[in-house]
Amino acid sequence: MIKQLSQRLLGPVTLALLALTFWLGLWVTPPDRIQGNLVRLLYIHPAIAWVGLYVSFGTSVIASCLYLWKRTRSTIMDRVAYCAMEVSAIFITLTLITGSIWGRPTWGVWWAWDARLTSTAILLVFALGYLALRRANDDPELRARRSAVFAIIAAINVPIDHFSVDWWHTLHQGATVFTQNGNFLVHGSMLWTLFLSLFAFTLLFFWLLRARYRLEVLRDQRYAASLDEALAQRRREGVH
Amino acid sequence: MPDTEDTFDLTPVAAPPTKRRGRWRTIGVLVVLALAVLALLSQGLLHSLNYFETIDQAMSSRAKLGTDTFRLEGVVRPHTIDRTSRGASFWMTGGDKKVFVDAHGSPPQLFQADIPVVVEGHFTSETSDTFIATQILVKHTASYIAAHPKRVKAPNGTVR
Repeated sequence: MIKQLSQRLLGPVTLALLALTFWLGLWVTPPDRIQGNLVRLLYIHPAIAWVGLYVSFGTSVIASCLYLWKRTRSTIMDRVAYCAMEVSAIFITLTLITGSIWGRPTWGVWWAWDARLTSTAILLVFALGYLALRRANDDPELRARRSAVFAIIAAINVPIDHFSVDWWHTLHQGATVFTQNGNFLVHGSMLWTLFLSLFAFTLLFFWLLRARYRLEVLRDQRYAASLDEALAQRRREGVH
Repeated sequence: MPDTEDTFDLTPVAAPPTKRRGRWRTIGVLVVLALAVLALLSQGLLHSLNYFETIDQAMSSRAKLGTDTFRLEGVVRPHTIDRTSRGASFWMTGGDKKVFVDAHGSPPQLFQADIPVVVEGHFTSETSDTFIATQILVKHTASYIAAHPKRVKAPNGTVR
């Protein structure tokens, strides 16, 4: 009952929170002292990056680990890993696009080859590589195992990407929310709107993941049904 | 009886070698992936993991840098910006050291006094503190502070 209700409410609640985020971000929150109205990208770009780099990539890696562990190995884990990585690839792409849109008026360039941007681009290549690797194998078990191993290896880049702004000199700013001393560097209503955007985009991820997972189940069912139908047809042809 | 035997050959056939084909495709994907990562690294990080040198670092390795082109980071010193027809000149500080920057090209939208910037260029000589820059990049900080546009502005431009 509660599960059904939460599944039914996930979409509308996500849309309502996203609408609230955009309303607060565009009209209610003040402009920044230096960046002016460019600061409004603060309510989109970090949230998209949070979902792409951590939530969805992390979900894919955890599901991959659970698939490789014999006690929890199941098609469900393989499907979750695959669907989450697909969402991750889209959100990492959006991270790079929104980052460029923000970078041009603030830094003065669309792109800089610093450690943060380069490691994010590499993470996108890894996500696309994962999806390509899945298409390269026809055997479902082999495909699941290889892609799970690949996802875990690719995950090494996530902490490198995250800490790159602390380890090296980058044009990209340092951490705003997850700072080393735990202090938030965003003030007042801007901070709460930022938190709201992180929450709203996280819900968006789960909504998209659920929809993508259902699509994958339907695709598998259709494939199995078409296989059964082909076998039955073959048998009928043999009988004549 | 229909002529099914002419149309359909029902003799067993060997399964296609999917595993071997899959292996080659996997190797192909991994090779393309490795090349893409190497291409990105060669653009960004293989020569240096740091995007710029701070003024302190540049001054301490002054002899080694000579008149080579590199990126230098510092804070724009207030009341030193002079906008020229070619671009802008200003003093940049870092730690207790300062460098005079003569930048060619139009500065970014957010360029102003008291903010960190990264300039790309070279020193005019091995002993000079004048830096000829071909590009100015604004390195905005991670802090976001609300502007108060409704506050009263004094005639001298300060906000009350």
